Amino acid sequence: MKVKSKVISIVSAALLLMGTAACSNDTASTDATKAKSSKGPVTFTYFGADPVPTWNNMQDEVGKEITKRTGVTLKASYQVGNDDKVGLIASSGQYPDLISPKGSAAKMVDAGAMVDLKPLIEKYAPNIKKLIGNNWGRLKYSNEDPKVYFIPTYDAVGQKQFDAGGGFELQHAAVKEAGYPQIKTLQDYENVIKQYVKKHPTVDGKPTVGMSLIGSDWHFLITVTNNATGATGKPDEGEYSIDPKTHKATFHSRLPEEKEYFKWLNHMNDIGLLDSQSFVQTYDQYLAKVASGRVVGLADQSWSYGSAENTLKGAGKDELTYGHYPVTLNDKYKRHDFQSIGFNAGWGIGITKNCKDPIRAIKFLDFLASDEGQILNYWGIKDKQYKVDNGKRVIPADVQEQKTKNNAEFTKKTGIGMYNISMRYGDGMKDSTGNYYTTNFPENVVKNYSKETKEVLSHYNAKTWKDLFPSEKEFPVLPWGAAWSINASSNTEYGAIFQKAEDTAKSYVTKAILAKPADFDKEWDNYLKALDAIGVKKMEAEYTKLVKARVELWSSK
Amino acid sequence: MAKRRSALPTNTSDRIFDICNMAFMMIVVVVMLYPFLNVLAISFNTSLDTVKGGITIWPRDFTLENYKKILEYDTLLVGLKNSVLRTVLGTFLGVLCDSMIAYTLSRKDYKARKFVSTFLALTLFFSGGLVPGYMLVRDLQLMNTFWVYILPGMVSVFNIFIIRSFIDNLPISLQESAKLDGANDFVIYWRIILPLCKPVLATVALFIAVGQWNSWFDTYLYNSMSPSLTTLQYELVKILQNTNSTTNANAQSAENIANMVTPESIKMAVTIFVTVPVLVIYPFLQKYFMQGMTLGAVKD
Amino acid sequence: MKTLPLEVSKPMVVKTKKSVWSKILSQKYLILMSFPFVIWVFVFSYIPIWGWTMAFQNFKPGLSFSQQEWVGLQNFKELFLDHDFYLVMRNTLAMSIMELVAGFLCPIVLAVLLHELKNKYFKRTVQTISYLPHFVSWVVVSGIVIQMLSTDGGVVNQLLMNLHVINKPIEFMGKENWFWSIVTTADVWKEVGWNTIIYLAAIAGIDPQLYEAAKVDGASRFRQIWHITIPGIRTTITILLILSIGNLINIGFEKQMLLGNPLVQSHSNVIQLYALNYGIGLGRYSFGTAVGIFNSVVSIILLFSANRIFKKTTGESVM
Repeated sequence: MKVKSKVISIVSAALLLMGTAACSNDTASTDATKAKSSKGPVTFTYFGADPVPTWNNMQDEVGKEITKRTGVTLKASYQVGNDDKVGLIASSGQYPDLISPKGSAAKMVDAGAMVDLKPLIEKYAPNIKKLIGNNWGRLKYSNEDPKVYFIPTYDAVGQKQFDAGGGFELQHAAVKEAGYPQIKTLQDYENVIKQYVKKHPTVDGKPTVGMSLIGSDWHFLITVTNNATGATGKPDEGEYSIDPKTHKATFHSRLPEEKEYFKWLNHMNDIGLLDSQSFVQTYDQYLAKVASGRVVGLADQSWSYGSAENTLKGAGKDELTYGHYPVTLNDKYKRHDFQSIGFNAGWGIGITKNCKDPIRAIKFLDFLASDEGQILNYWGIKDKQYKVDNGKRVIPADVQEQKTKNNAEFTKKTGIGMYNISMRYGDGMKDSTGNYYTTNFPENVVKNYSKETKEVLSHYNAKTWKDLFPSEKEFPVLPWGAAWSINASSNTEYGAIFQKAEDTAKSYVTKAILAKPADFDKEWDNYLKALDAIGVKKMEAEYTKLVKARVELWSSK
Repeated sequence: MAKRRSALPTNTSDRIFDICNMAFMMIVVVVMLYPFLNVLAISFNTSLDTVKGGITIWPRDFTLENYKKILEYDTLLVGLKNSVLRTVLGTFLGVLCDSMIAYTLSRKDYKARKFVSTFLALTLFFSGGLVPGYMLVRDLQLMNTFWVYILPGMVSVFNIFIIRSFIDNLPISLQESAKLDGANDFVIYWRIILPLCKPVLATVALFIAVGQWNSWFDTYLYNSMSPSLTTLQYELVKILQNTNSTTNANAQSAENIANMVTPESIKMAVTIFVTVPVLVIYPFLQKYFMQGMTLGAVKD
Repeated sequence: MKTLPLEVSKPMVVKTKKSVWSKILSQKYLILMSFPFVIWVFVFSYIPIWGWTMAFQNFKPGLSFSQQEWVGLQNFKELFLDHDFYLVMRNTLAMSIMELVAGFLCPIVLAVLLHELKNKYFKRTVQTISYLPHFVSWVVVSGIVIQMLSTDGGVVNQLLMNLHVINKPIEFMGKENWFWSIVTTADVWKEVGWNTIIYLAAIAGIDPQLYEAAKVDGASRFRQIWHITIPGIRTTITILLILSIGNLINIGFEKQMLLGNPLVQSHSNVIQLYALNYGIGLGRYSFGTAVGIFNSVVSIILLFSANRIFKKTTGESVM
């Protein structure tokens, strides 16, 4: 065909043309601390790799105040959908002034796009410096490139948890009817559900559901596999379990002890206590079910089912809301929910080479890290969103109501909590006035409990759900911090195997859970075989290397 | 046309046909109306109650609150302006270009016809991918400009073929007589072809308009740092943004996002707000492709 | 079939011995009306094809073109050696062929039947309503579908139970064998009204006198449809059919992703989702591009084959 050859020749000409034009790279590198800094109003562009649906172009109250104090306006843009925008930004050289690339940090660093922050912080950012303390070693990018490109923003410094949000959940009514028994093992948990379902086969005319999961989308990780980790006495390390001594990483859902957990789910399905819709229903349908009050047991996180629980509260059905119990496979295991990750760095915000005024940018981040900036972000504006009574910061009741009723709306309007883009202190840390930095503190937790919740807790001699769980003092601090924030290997084969392993687990573990009990072992063996076939050992070896590298990096100064 | 046809006598089999057809269409109406009514009902329901699920075509706990809230989103107004602008301009230019090329391709005597149609058809089936497209827009200096909404998609090959197939069915004699009168090709296109093509031009206009109205990805890719260039659909997508991302999901960031997720009812209210304008223009275009032509002029 | 409009349009056979230049000159308006857009398409569609080089590299964003590592055909090898790829291709082709058949016939039937409606206002109302689902997102539509087919109070199961067709609710969404049909049905439901619009426009272009003549001859409604309406929109049907055959492999992934679940994973995974999950989604641009090239090559082969077949059998074609 003549046309075809014509087309081909044109295309190849274009290729030659574009090959040279498309790939220019800005490699000019200057010492950022020597740049000139301006004083007047300035605009910085910013890209964040996590969506922020409430972003309002700084037209919210806190945003306006930040602009007033610093002269800085952020033009922010956030990740939408699954496409890799950080990759595009890195390839095109169209870097924003500030970027928080999450797990894609390597792309920006490989492109030579990031500015070394250490000299800037030393010179211009006393507040950030204070927050870092003697943890500079943890901020280094890697053993080979020990510069500081990002300051951590995903974890707040010194964060303490005051309440449990995970574990296994049971409705207060079920626990009450069972006579407040000890709930420590899966057997205890199952007994409570079994008794209650037997007594109340229907709720408002619809069948009572023993235990429901959402295995149809990514919540699979939260409600199915993560619980296998929790119930077998391991901290949540994402999809891996890391040996504390050898630092060897294993894809956790293939471990023999977790098989026992899935076997229990299989048993629950067999006796009809596991919702048969668990792997089919959508998240909305799951929430609707929970909100109807007919699900006795959950294995979820409170942030995930919270909106359904709010509906129950709104309807005055506090007895059908949930408590969190430290359930394990058997009494050999101890739950590690509260094991500390220490000062966690890895993911965070950085300044790019395209930023015209890095000094101003670091000063801006430093303002957000100051006491003033943090209180603005956490509490809002004085005498509007909070008051000071006898030196104590308090949130007026009407503001608190707006906040609980419609958090998204409240955030959009006030901007509270939306400027977590610099370093900051976490829950439980106090400022120089003796007030907590954040609005989450022990007194508040108990204050927000319902009467029913308090009653249930009193039978277990506990003030909060956290008291039921082993405390963080029982465990050493994890030397690698949070495993999920280890920047994924740039080895692309690793990524593909990991994705495959996740897909395999989803499909095979589901099949095993729903199989007839007699077939469970057979299905499980198929799962292990399928994992071997895709090269799970290779993947684990690669990840083990990453963990070891992080431990080495973080123990340096 | 409809009147003239019914004026002729009808027999029994015709009547049975009509009754069956009516009955069938009734079913179609019911089945097709459901999803839209469902969205509408949820948008008028309180968000706390919506979580319970089970809303079908009637709100259970009626409220106007959701709509009041979205009117406070001032970004939606900026988005509305840009969306209207890009839709109007994009549709006008698109219809013009597409029909012009389609006319040349319908001319069997046009020497470059085969080359041009193959050259165009191929583009329907390949793309260089995200990165080269992004670089091209960067190199053409279209980033953070309004023109990125208009220029890259101005020529639509699919629409060209649709228009061409319509022109192919028109009687050719008109063109020939015009040619004998000494009219040049552009005049024939402008004076004779365009007026006859109203049904298909209305269709293509609808396709382009809906495409323009619904697109958000270009805003996200190229103009997301320019709040003044935002579009309605992009604002919608941001609001609809859920925690349902399939990749890189981890508990930590999921928790952060979960706290900011917009309630279902407000999402549906925004959906209605964004969809209604495009539904409103529909009847104006519909009359062109539903009525058929008043073909006084087209006689062999 | 007396007057097929197409048969009228024979090429004008006027033999001349003019030079190339005078031919160009005589068609200068046609050239001016099409070539600026050819350049346009060249810039926006052809130039970005340099990106295909990424398939032969281990592309890393941020490095310049000369710094990229060339790996030859490794990405294609990986693609073709992947067992999942064949599964994914099977699903893609199965679903797209089902969609091609159903999604192609239904709009034509609906358009023809709409055209036969006598009451102008009823006709318009039905048409407007039938296109509404196009504007409802897949998230909402798939939620409705899953709810309707649920064993927990779903309409379909209740109906079948009341009719005593089944005595225990069927878990439709959990059955691999049902998945393709469910996706196809949902797709027809959502898009049929929208897709009729093209045919309605084509029908509107048919000369009304043809119907008058048929009526006078006493032709029944079915005969009118068969001999006037269908031939009148044949060109449109052919063009759309050729283009959608070329598009067979570009099935999208949203509906499969939203309707799917781990139980039907082996039947729900399609090529676009595969490319996203194992390509761009992981930052593996090279692998994603390799999948893209594979798609394009298959599409273009399908396009040319379909075009040729139709040209030979019906005389109508895109190119």
